Amino acid sequence: MEDELIRIKNNAISMILDTNDPKELEEIKLQFLGRNGKLTAAMKKLPKINPSMRKEVGILANEVKETIEDAIKDKTHETKTLHTKANTKKIDVTNPGIKPPLGHLHPITQAISEISSIFERIGFTRVRYPEVEWDWYSFGALNFPEGHPARDDWETFFIDTKPSAKYGPMLLTPHTSSGQIREMENNKPPIRMLNIAKTFRRQSDVSHTPVFHQFETLFVAEKASITDLKGVLDYFTKAYFGHDRESRIRPYHFEFTEPSFEVDVSCGICKGKGCKLCKEGWLEMGGAGMVHPNVLKNAGIDPTKYSGFASGWGVERVLMMKEGLEIDDLRLLYSNKLDFLEQF
Amino acid sequence: MNIKIIDSWLREYLETPAKQDIIAKKLSLTSVSVDRTEKIGNETIYDIEVTTNRPDLMSIRGIAQEASAVLPVEGITAKYIGKTAPLVTQPDISFPIEIVNDPELVNRIMAVIMEVEIGPSPKEISNRLELSGIRNLNNVIDVTNYVMREIGHPCHVFDYDLLNTKKMIIRKSKEGEELTTLDGKKYRLAGGDIVADNGRGEIIDLLGIMGTANSVVQDNTKRILFFLDNNNPKLIRQTSMNLGIRTEAAIINEKGIDPELMEEAFRRGVELYKQIAKGKVVTKTLDIYPNKSKTHNIKVDLEKINSLIGVEIPVKKSEEILTSLGFEVKKTGNSLDVKVPTIRASEVLIPEDIIEEIARVYGYHKLPSIVPGFNSNKTIAYENEFFFEERIKNALKYWGFTEANTYSLISEDMFDGPIDSAVKLKNPLTNDMEYMRNSLIPGLLKVIEENKSRDSVRIFELSNVYHKRTNDLPEEKMMLSGAIKRTGVSFYEIKGVIEQLLTDLGIQNYKFKEKGEPGADIFIGSDRLGYIEILNANLIDFELSFEIILKHATLKKIYKPIAKFPPLFEDITFVLGEGIKTEDVTEEIKLQSFLIREVSLKDQYENAKTFHIIYQAEDRNLTNIEIVEIREGIIKAISEKFEASVK
Repeated sequence: MEDELIRIKNNAISMILDTNDPKELEEIKLQFLGRNGKLTAAMKKLPKINPSMRKEVGILANEVKETIEDAIKDKTHETKTLHTKANTKKIDVTNPGIKPPLGHLHPITQAISEISSIFERIGFTRVRYPEVEWDWYSFGALNFPEGHPARDDWETFFIDTKPSAKYGPMLLTPHTSSGQIREMENNKPPIRMLNIAKTFRRQSDVSHTPVFHQFETLFVAEKASITDLKGVLDYFTKAYFGHDRESRIRPYHFEFTEPSFEVDVSCGICKGKGCKLCKEGWLEMGGAGMVHPNVLKNAGIDPTKYSGFASGWGVERVLMMKEGLEIDDLRLLYSNKLDFLEQF
Repeated sequence: MNIKIIDSWLREYLETPAKQDIIAKKLSLTSVSVDRTEKIGNETIYDIEVTTNRPDLMSIRGIAQEASAVLPVEGITAKYIGKTAPLVTQPDISFPIEIVNDPELVNRIMAVIMEVEIGPSPKEISNRLELSGIRNLNNVIDVTNYVMREIGHPCHVFDYDLLNTKKMIIRKSKEGEELTTLDGKKYRLAGGDIVADNGRGEIIDLLGIMGTANSVVQDNTKRILFFLDNNNPKLIRQTSMNLGIRTEAAIINEKGIDPELMEEAFRRGVELYKQIAKGKVVTKTLDIYPNKSKTHNIKVDLEKINSLIGVEIPVKKSEEILTSLGFEVKKTGNSLDVKVPTIRASEVLIPEDIIEEIARVYGYHKLPSIVPGFNSNKTIAYENEFFFEERIKNALKYWGFTEANTYSLISEDMFDGPIDSAVKLKNPLTNDMEYMRNSLIPGLLKVIEENKSRDSVRIFELSNVYHKRTNDLPEEKMMLSGAIKRTGVSFYEIKGVIEQLLTDLGIQNYKFKEKGEPGADIFIGSDRLGYIEILNANLIDFELSFEIILKHATLKKIYKPIAKFPPLFEDITFVLGEGIKTEDVTEEIKLQSFLIREVSLKDQYENAKTFHIIYQAEDRNLTNIEIVEIREGIIKAISEKFEASVK
């Protein structure tokens, strides 16, 4: 008997809680408390039970009845106000809404996630390698000759510590290309790497910040060719800047690639016709090239069997180019001024 | 390095019907980048970026030779028409200065004494220099600049009478030696610079970089020493950067140029002195040439040419291209045997260098773009570090935090702990960027300080900090740090953010513990995750180890069948003594029955804490009678253990 009463109560309460419809509430009331309602029926059995328990069960039955009545009353009140408010209260749709909080990701972060997803679609996997590096990874293995300008104190930051007998001085990597060596040492071809990291160079002016970001691709396979490199660069250009943009490569020079290229993207403003913002219709994006055989060798890969290509570009640069941001001082990107960050 | 090339001057060395814009475009695509073409009067000036490996292109002659090779491949006739100036006459008077050279410093020296009549240069020459961005001074000095731009080898001129010496010793400078350059600036040398000494210990030239005031051509100069030197590029670079003297001569010399080019420049110089300064050669020419330029042959596999470029290039085409660039080519079997001209010998070294020459002149723009097929031997888990990094950043963004991006380089006072333990730069750019940070917090606090007009700031950063290790690279650790500034900001607000973040990352077994200072230490299991730090009533920050987050983060969810029987709820309020931890009370409550599904703090007023308790059984409806029993157990346990009373 007690169990039955409790079941009736739980049943009724959950039905009452579930509805917002006054008509349905009326029905529930009838179903439980009406002349032929479930509780009424149960209570009719009261006289038949053992007299010693009758009192206790009677109290419980009344409790259940009150609980159900209260719940119906509360709910009726609630639904009424709900309906009245919705139907009658005037709203000013031009008042401000109640907004959930919304912060901002740094524009560099946003660019990095776009770049990562684009390269991911064509099989390039993102990796992360040391920012504080040995000369060997940042220069030596990348075929930079001794005494190369990039290796001197004017261009690269060095750490005030004893050089390694094996790897040379410790430094802040000036490019993500150090990741090429790390990647090839740890993996066998075919390799498709995307290394995005902080990089460091000893200059600070309107177009340079001492800390910046690069993204580096590395592809190593049998018979990797210039046409493969062009394919990947073009894919990125169209995916990132828009399908109507084009890329081209021009001869250039880097120590760690041979041949080396400078990559241009057609100007989005003049659509390649030539305007004030571009060079004859093209904007310089960054460097690329076929991995120098010495670099493959230095990283333990047989250059007679494999070839590869690599590219390394500034995240800041592609970001500015994509957004058409006309920031007259690049250092603003790292100023952490909220007035700036909140625009992104 | 950029160079300005004047069209009319170029056409003295290059015969082509091609218009300026065509020349510019074709050069850009196949050789050097023409950044801009500018029209001034009747002249067109090409502003050209020459890559550092091609100092041979820093001249009219060099660009003309390139153009004569690349234009015909694009179907435009072009011919190199530069002529070497006539041999220099050799009068019967021997060269009067004994020059003692050090072959480790200087590869070649050519010199001659001439009588000249000093004066302004003719209009044509001074105009060309000016349009080339070179200051014109007088005919004697202008010749050296004119020759350098035309032929590409730097030259120098002394006032022979002012020099007044029978001896010139080429040597390395000693530390502390001083000199005054011809522009009147005083320098103190670091040692190891290539200098000329007049035998009396006096420096009379800073070779390859700039002349000195004590031997400079004067307004009344009558006799000159026309002097060309080809130097050790590394030493030139060192001196030029050390002293900050970036003359065009220094820029060319530090890249290294073929000493074979010297003769052409020397003859052209003498010819020009005759033409514009009434120059007369009065001595024999001195030519000291200890380090002759060398060349070599490179064998290139034909198959390799095609596989690296990605399309088949006809052998004849390759041969044509190389020949036009000055290489000698012989086809032997399946390969090309290529002899490199001396002017390119220092930078064309391997088959790939030859393939580059073929490919660029053939035209990169003619090659197709093909995304290579997917082929990888590595599978990468979806939920890797980058996945969680992005998830965390996005969560914080949607909870109203803005991401900062601060420099990894900091000043001494921003380092957390004894400065000896910091990773220190040897050559910082400025004092405020001398060390590598070991915490993101000082940087974030600085950002808050710098945005002080804001009453309310919520920022975060997820980035590396650096810890020194002996005999190894520093340990780079990613940290997730943040700060909230707002009047009366609550500890629980930051705690809530961290709790919710961990929950979203599938982490449950975290604990907040008291620490010595205001705030909390945070643990996941036994791993220390990080801390919350209350700086003052309006500023709270936190720093968490991303590594520890990654160790525990997971997308895995455990499904439990949805309860068939409804839960029952109850609130109990206890008045608790000072210092009793909520968590200890909730843990104790939970111990009282397995039917207690959840206990949470619902409300708190002074020492009275209201706990919300959820009871639920998986197999039946709970009755009030059962609950009454448990409730009594709870009240008893809590009252005894914590000396609490029920309200």
